[in-house]
Amino acid sequence: MTDPIPLVPDLRIALGRIQLPNPILVASGTFGYAREMARLVRLDRLGGIIPKTITQQPRPGNRPWRTVETASGLLNSIGLDNDGIDAFIAHHLPYLVTLRAPIIVSIAGKSADEFVGMAERLGGCAGLTALELNVSCPNVSGGVDYGADSRQCFDVVSRVRARCGLPIIVKLTPNVTRIVDIAKSASDAGADAISLINTVLGMAIDWRHRRPLLGNVVGGLSGPAIKPIALRCVYQVSRAVRTPLIGIGGISTIDDVMEFLVAGASAIQIGTANYTDPTVSMRLLDQLPVALTEAGVPSAAELVGTLRVESSP
Amino acid sequence: MNPLNAACYADRAIWCRAPVVENLVIAESTFRVRIPCPELARRIIPGQFVMLRLAERSDPLLARPFALYDTYRDAGELAGIDVVYLVKGRFTTAMSRCGAGTEVEIWGPLGNGFSSRPVEHLIMVAGGIGQTPFLALGAEFLGRKRFGEPERERGTARRVTFCYGARRSSMLAGLDDFRNQGIDVRVATDDGSAGHHGFVTDLLRQLLEGEVSLAQARIACCGPEPMMAAVARIAKEAGVACELSLETPMACGIGVCFTCVARIRTDHAEGWDYKRTCVEGPVFDATQVLL
Ligand SMILES: Cc1cc2nc3c(=O)[nH]c(=O)nc-3n(C[C@H](O)[C@H](O)[C@H](O)COP(=O)(O)OP(=O)(O)OC[C@H]3O[C@@H](n4cnc5c(N)ncnc54)[C@H](O)[C@@H]3O)c2cc1C
Ligand SMILES: Cc1cc2nc3c(=O)[nH]c(=O)nc-3n(C[C@H](O)[C@H](O)[C@H](O)COP(=O)(O)O)c2cc1C
Ligand code: FES
Repeated sequence: MTDPIPLVPDLRIALGRIQLPNPILVASGTFGYAREMARLVRLDRLGGIIPKTITQQPRPGNRPWRTVETASGLLNSIGLDNDGIDAFIAHHLPYLVTLRAPIIVSIAGKSADEFVGMAERLGGCAGLTALELNVSCPNVSGGVDYGADSRQCFDVVSRVRARCGLPIIVKLTPNVTRIVDIAKSASDAGADAISLINTVLGMAIDWRHRRPLLGNVVGGLSGPAIKPIALRCVYQVSRAVRTPLIGIGGISTIDDVMEFLVAGASAIQIGTANYTDPTVSMRLLDQLPVALTEAGVPSAAELVGTLRVESSP
Repeated sequence: MNPLNAACYADRAIWCRAPVVENLVIAESTFRVRIPCPELARRIIPGQFVMLRLAERSDPLLARPFALYDTYRDAGELAGIDVVYLVKGRFTTAMSRCGAGTEVEIWGPLGNGFSSRPVEHLIMVAGGIGQTPFLALGAEFLGRKRFGEPERERGTARRVTFCYGARRSSMLAGLDDFRNQGIDVRVATDDGSAGHHGFVTDLLRQLLEGEVSLAQARIACCGPEPMMAAVARIAKEAGVACELSLETPMACGIGVCFTCVARIRTDHAEGWDYKRTCVEGPVFDATQVLL
């Protein structure tokens, strides 16, 4: 006989040094700086909030068009429009740290030194749960692609780890030949968790005017269209590294959430679905305990990585 | 000062899902859809907008922004809003094929809305489907309707004129709605099939020439960008205050995606910065916008 299932499944999740109240987080770039969502969402219920990625210097962002809708997907080249770390610390951090939800600040640097410098400053700010290193933004030209090169990735993660006391999450791009290699180097460098995936590089064209639709020509695809790619990445990486994973990509229903947990993600982030239904995170939080009970597990953690794959004869 | 300190977050926004009451053709390629959403209807003011999408579909995926056309009552109580839309692309084509009972998801009110500062003469200028925000605005300024919860300070005007340009007469929508509110409607069409044969800006120029006290007038304008740029120029030359409602494409409508940016004058080195029209607009003072 199995143990009786508790009435209310335990939603708490540990990602390395990070403790989260539940596995449902909101993804960077899709939730603003949280304040915008406050009247539609009970922010305190979220498993974690990752505000839009910040950079050392303010960036005006790319010229419009910045997004284009494609088949069940969204193509974007916002270009990390943000006011820089100083404005973030002055205007947004004081609000964010008043929230009960864990705050994970996403940073992107043009160089390893910039990553380290920003991490050091944020390490000195009270009330933060972790940093997410965005080594994977397809929209920042001129920078080194830390998410596409194992050695560079190892270098930047280990240097940030050495200089900043906050737990470190590394967010990877799927736009590489072997994502497992990059994940291994992030893991070896001491990442507490790995987020998979950022957007998939894509393009949209207006053939009548012979022009690309995005101001930046190419951009990142997100939404339901990329979910299978994200699931595949989570599955492959979970088989190769022990570092906890956070699944991202096209999640909008409770079935999506459960699939990612089963595939090997300890937590998930909601991205584009925040646009198509700004209240989606609340709905998924309501549904998660029910789905876990249906799955017959006493806690979210016990569902993680339970995928059964039959080996070929 | 920066796009972080937006004037108007989706502070009082409401999300709901509802079956549409009706979805009628009111002009060529133009529909009016009636959506039950009482709480939203009580709060929304002229010039604000809602995000609208078809429920349970991932294609079209994103919601689209639509201005408040009017609120409606049922058994004496505010019951919901009317949206008037032109069939353009994926969403509006799909929407136009839907009948009563189709489930939609709607959230709002969003954006800032038009100013309610009283004025002697309110001149509303619209090109094509840019007309949608002006029925509610005109009705409010003539004292026919009140909006907002708590009710906002009602704008007042002694006269409200509506200069409305369209490609041809079959595309003019809702003329009777405007006239029934006591709004003075002047029409221009590109092909001369109704009203003035030519641009709506010609109507505006004529109106301003006859105007006794330009300092007591204000223009509110919405339409294609070249038309809004022309109206802004005319307003500046005549010394008349002018507000523009921008129709920048949006993805979220609530300030979190940074899709909807327009170039707005600031004290930045370049003299402008990208601002999110969904939270800092869609209504801007014409002198602030770089079109
Ligand atoms: C505040 C506001 C209020 C509005 N109110 C109304 C209203 O009351 N009634 C009404 O009919 N319309 C209104 N609009 C415009 C309306 O939102 C669009 O017409 C609608 O989104 C079209 O959707 P669609 O799926 O039918 O067309 P789509 O398939 O999205 O395409 C419509 C057109 O826009 C172009 N386009 C698509 N994406 C972009 C982009 N990222 N940047 C630039 N161009 C793009 C396409 O090429 C096409 O020409 C409003 C817009 C705003 C911002
Ligand atoms: C408009 C837009 C802006 C984004 N901005 C960021 C960003 O600033 N930093 C980041 O790490 N990811 C950013 N992302 C990627 C998302 O966080 C997420 O990884 C990706 O969209 C896949 O998830 P989804 O399919 O659920 O949207 C952005 C995505 C979109 C659609
Ligand atoms: S539409 Fe997303 S920020 Fe304005």
